[in-house]
Amino acid sequence: MIELQNITKRYPENRDVLSRLNLTIEQGEMAFLTGPSGAGKSTMLKLIAAIERPTRGQIFINNKNITHIPKRKIPALRRHMGVVFQAHHLLYDRNIFDNVSLPLQIAGYSQVDIRRRVRAALDKVALLHKEQVMPITLSGGEQQRVGIARAVVNKPAILLADEPTGNLDPDLSAEIMQLFAAFNQVGVTVLVASHDLDLISRMHKRIVRIHNGQCVDAQDTHVLHNYEVVK
Amino acid sequence: MAKAKRPQPLAKPNLVTRLRAYGRDHLRSLVFSLGKLYRQRFATTLTLLMIAVALALPACLYVLLNNLQVVTQNWDNAGQITLFLKVDSSDAAIQELRNRFADYPEIETVEYVPAEDALKEFRDRNEFGQLLDGLDDNPLPPTLILTPITAAKQTSKLNQLATDFRSYSNVDYVQLDMQWLQRLHAITNTVRRAITVISMMLAISVLLVVGNSIRLDIENRREEIEVTKLIGATDRFIRRPFLYGGMWYGLIGGVLALLLVLLALLAIKRPIQELVGLYNSDFQLMFPSFRQSLGLVASSIGLGLFGSWLAVSRHIAKIEPS
Repeated sequence: MIELQNITKRYPENRDVLSRLNLTIEQGEMAFLTGPSGAGKSTMLKLIAAIERPTRGQIFINNKNITHIPKRKIPALRRHMGVVFQAHHLLYDRNIFDNVSLPLQIAGYSQVDIRRRVRAALDKVALLHKEQVMPITLSGGEQQRVGIARAVVNKPAILLADEPTGNLDPDLSAEIMQLFAAFNQVGVTVLVASHDLDLISRMHKRIVRIHNGQCVDAQDTHVLHNYEVVK
Repeated sequence: MAKAKRPQPLAKPNLVTRLRAYGRDHLRSLVFSLGKLYRQRFATTLTLLMIAVALALPACLYVLLNNLQVVTQNWDNAGQITLFLKVDSSDAAIQELRNRFADYPEIETVEYVPAEDALKEFRDRNEFGQLLDGLDDNPLPPTLILTPITAAKQTSKLNQLATDFRSYSNVDYVQLDMQWLQRLHAITNTVRRAITVISMMLAISVLLVVGNSIRLDIENRREEIEVTKLIGATDRFIRRPFLYGGMWYGLIGGVLALLLVLLALLAIKRPIQELVGLYNSDFQLMFPSFRQSLGLVASSIGLGLFGSWLAVSRHIAKIEPS
């Protein structure tokens, strides 16, 4: 589903953030990306969402090479993936319903479909009763759930999340992670970047650690903690 | 691990649905952009006034020029040739000249004003008429007034005719009423060119005013643009409300400009009528026609759209999520 081959990413006047990195995420898989800040977690997600381009290497999404995807084809690519950020990136001049419906408006769905899908997405994040509310009146956890609803409203095959629990307390964080696991249950490929090792090790999913610009798979928490010690 | 199931993707909307959504989005952008102008009333009002004044100025000049042309067109018909004959010309000689000139294909009518009639007219019209009573002889010459056919009312042809007429021995002096008309035409043309140049400069300023407002608007909504791009919005989708914003600036600014022009014309209507009254003219100040008014508003809309397009094409492509 997601395949990164030999990816090197160098920012101007900087060392290589990612260096000859290889990673394959299977269809329907759920994986966590971890590593210290600055390790390149965000960079990897940006490469997958075509926000950044790799310096070297190839990226395949759904067996399509998107390494040199032309700019005009990027919108279509992004409509197949949902993206969740640490900062929720909601639009504060419109209510929850309008925020969540935006991807469907863009893709040109009918009003009937939009209403149905937005309700379903808000229902999944348990915010159906808040659809007419303005985002500013919601708590941080609720805003994050709105962001997730917006990311899944058009049923994307891939869900990317960059530190989705960054600002939340442990209980809320666990709740959010469970939500991602639930989407994975229905077949969505999920890739979550997070530095919250305790939380992600309790999820019993694949954990990929970025170390020296490369990916190291660490299925079991023991290995992970060793890395922490080594560091 | 069990073989992962494929999620059921949301069916892509069919063409009709997408077209309807497309129309709906246009409508939404149209209303949304107008609402945005209303929410920023103060800035919007300033921008609109700038546009209105910049357009009203050349439009006013243009209307005045049109009026001037109507006045001078009436004068054009006066392109007559006046021949003053020698005072001592005999009646027979004058009659011969009248016949000769009437035979010219370029001459439509020949009017003869005998010296006595000229004297009488001078007396009637002039308060100094009595002065002439002190003279023994009539000092005024007999006069022939020739009206050329319309086709001959060109400077070169009239000059040719005048030269020709001067060669007759009984013709004392040939007067062409053309020179000052030519000067007037030259002045009108210069003014027209000047108005065109001014209009172009002010049109550019309208472009800049609209472009700058839209650019600021884009800057203010940078985050929104980034987010919408990130969830798969095309540049066209993002551009739309801004282009409609420019259209609204043009439309409202153009209508305001038209109102300003009408107000200005109303303000000068009275003094102009008093002025032309002094010249015994029945001239009426011409207001812009419906078509001209429509043209003003339409070109304003065009400028608004073009200005916002300039801003949008430069700035929206540059905003990328990061």
